[in-house]
Amino acid sequence: MTQRSSGIGNSITRRRALQLLGLGGIATVSAVSSACAGPGSGEGGEQQGGSGGDELATGGPVEGEISFAHWRAEDQDVLEELFAQFTEEYPDASVSQDISPSNDYQSSALQRIRSGNIGDLFVAFRGAQFVDMVNAGLYADLSGTDVVDLYQPDLIEAGAQDGTQYGLPYQLVFNQPVTNLDMLESVGITEPPPDWDSFLAMCEDLLAADVIPMAWPGGEIGNAGHLFNCMVMNNAPSDDMCVKIETGEYKCTDDWFLRTLEQYAELRPYFQSNATGTAVEPAQQLFAEGQAAIMVTGSFHIAAARELGADFPMGMLAPITVSADEMKYEGIHNATFILGVNTASDNQAAAMELLRFLSAPEPASTYANGTAQHLTVTDVEYENEDLATNEEWLQKQTLLAPRFQFTDLDIRNAAEQACIDVVGGDSPEQAAEAAQQIIDQRVDA
Amino acid sequence: MSATTESGPARQPVRPPAADRAGKRRRKGRGATRVHPALYLFPLPALAVYIVFFAIPTLQAVQYSTTDWDGFSADYENVGLGNFERLATNDDLFTNALSNNLKFMIVVVVFQTLLGLLLAIFLVRNTTGSLLLRGLFFFPTILSSVSVAYIWKFVYDPNFGLANTVLEAVGLEQFTSSYLGNDAAAIYWVALTQIWFHAGQMMVIFIAGLQMVPSELYEAAEIDGAGKWRQFTSITWPMIAPATAIVVAYTTIQSFKAFDLILGLSGNPPRHSLDILSTRIYSTFTNSQFGYAAAESLVFMAFIAAIVIVQRRLLKLTQKDV
Repeated sequence: MTQRSSGIGNSITRRRALQLLGLGGIATVSAVSSACAGPGSGEGGEQQGGSGGDELATGGPVEGEISFAHWRAEDQDVLEELFAQFTEEYPDASVSQDISPSNDYQSSALQRIRSGNIGDLFVAFRGAQFVDMVNAGLYADLSGTDVVDLYQPDLIEAGAQDGTQYGLPYQLVFNQPVTNLDMLESVGITEPPPDWDSFLAMCEDLLAADVIPMAWPGGEIGNAGHLFNCMVMNNAPSDDMCVKIETGEYKCTDDWFLRTLEQYAELRPYFQSNATGTAVEPAQQLFAEGQAAIMVTGSFHIAAARELGADFPMGMLAPITVSADEMKYEGIHNATFILGVNTASDNQAAAMELLRFLSAPEPASTYANGTAQHLTVTDVEYENEDLATNEEWLQKQTLLAPRFQFTDLDIRNAAEQACIDVVGGDSPEQAAEAAQQIIDQRVDA
Repeated sequence: MSATTESGPARQPVRPPAADRAGKRRRKGRGATRVHPALYLFPLPALAVYIVFFAIPTLQAVQYSTTDWDGFSADYENVGLGNFERLATNDDLFTNALSNNLKFMIVVVVFQTLLGLLLAIFLVRNTTGSLLLRGLFFFPTILSSVSVAYIWKFVYDPNFGLANTVLEAVGLEQFTSSYLGNDAAAIYWVALTQIWFHAGQMMVIFIAGLQMVPSELYEAAEIDGAGKWRQFTSITWPMIAPATAIVVAYTTIQSFKAFDLILGLSGNPPRHSLDILSTRIYSTFTNSQFGYAAAESLVFMAFIAAIVIVQRRLLKLTQKDV
């Protein structure tokens, strides 16, 4: 055997060195494993998650960088303008926007905001995301703070859970078709059709006038699903229909759901051709160019249609799927963009001040008019022409968008996919059974 | 035994060739020498990265997969193999994603390989024209998946898209389609995009393989009267078998990683007809089913591992044939 003459490694063989490396590796794995968060791995009984509502640090200086996490890229400029006003008032503070596309925000915002690296002030979609974020302990408890008083109480219920006001829904949107009023007038429609037959008759008249009655983004399940709200609002036997689908109490194979699917089938000729392959942008384009009379998404796309060059007056209507005397709701609204202060933020005082600023009537009016969104904030002055035209909807009998009652996204997608499949040619029974099978599997899980 | 009968028993041990003996000496020598222990520290950074970013997450995934953890709660239940049982017996969404992924993989592997080979055969010579065309066909490979998805989203749009516009312009309206909106065909349209995206890359691998084939073989075959087809089947195809195996293995793995292409083309979440395994796992994570998603990830990993093992065996077989 060869012996080396010097060096500390004299007595260490390759085998020994590998053994040491192996032991070191195991130690590293153990150390890092225990350091990484896992199910219930909180140190010393510390909770990794849990229900929200941690105490809010409202006091303290308004300084440092405040991160605002949201999904509204189209609002970026208006928000920048507002944040410039805020930092004028608080020169030691700065605000940065962390914007993700809405679908990505739905998928990954919880984990990103939970880290505390972004989203001192953040927002959530109503429904599954808000519920998860509250359960994950992201929302600081806003109950009893002065900022809550700046909102219309009946419109911020979507931001409360178990009597605690975790978040403040900022936007009041209408998830119902947007119309080209000139085009409807050209076929003699000045008021929303009061029942299903007259709705179909209106579509027929538009078709006869060589116009696509409805541009529907059937290629994107998220945007296609807005129509679902209107289609079920008067058909379902109760207002919590989607909760009951999720609990298994209602089935997609029930008569009311089948009737809804049959009505989707009746709408087939009135959508643009190949509607199930159309994304939201081409649907907006068809509407903005005047090729289609109705854009089947919601008020939140009015600004986008204007950007695309639409210069005609716009209104809204929702298909009434029952007879006029059976009608319960005229349309759909949603209180969303639920603002909240991050419990993991180390700059809560500044985030709270920013929330207070956005909730004041003047900045809120700037936001509303700049983005063509109605808000839940009180005393907002709507000067934007589209907002003014559609202000009447604030007084109408509308249902809080039922699709956001779903807290299981697989179940929601299954129910909404059934509607798309019917427009694509499947029979209502076939689509309903396929959807129900998936839902049953999720309910059983 | 038959060998002994035919050639007679070996009377004395056969000495190995000189080269083998030298090799054995070298190996023996290496085993006996000691390497300075400090050298063993060199792999440590890479090992640490591997442990932190691969080994630990994998081990944790195994742990999560036996729970119903939602990804953020302090509480969870151990469900044992319940998640795997549900995956195997009671999850149509996963089965649908698996089915879509297999269809996608088969179409992409077959047609991307064939197209790559065809392009390579036509462009194997280093002429100026060939070089230009190679660059042209290779170009999509350097684009990001998201860019490719947006380009093809425009192509497939049924209202303003290139495909239907061209079909209408040439009087073939009857062939216009909703493309990604057609549930029966949607996954194949995405496969077409994937083939366009990566065929140029496969062409380059095939060209490298083709340029390794000695020209003398073709000259000899010509003298023997072999036609072009015979030359291809008897010389080209066997000689590029290793390159083919690499292309097939790479393409297969790629087809399981088409996550960004699918999300770019179909939106998030993808509709059922476009859901593949990677997008399904992502949707499950999004739906706050962390434990179940971890079980899906492990099955996904096992599935890819099985395919890679099969392909490695096939690679060995093809190399043996050569």
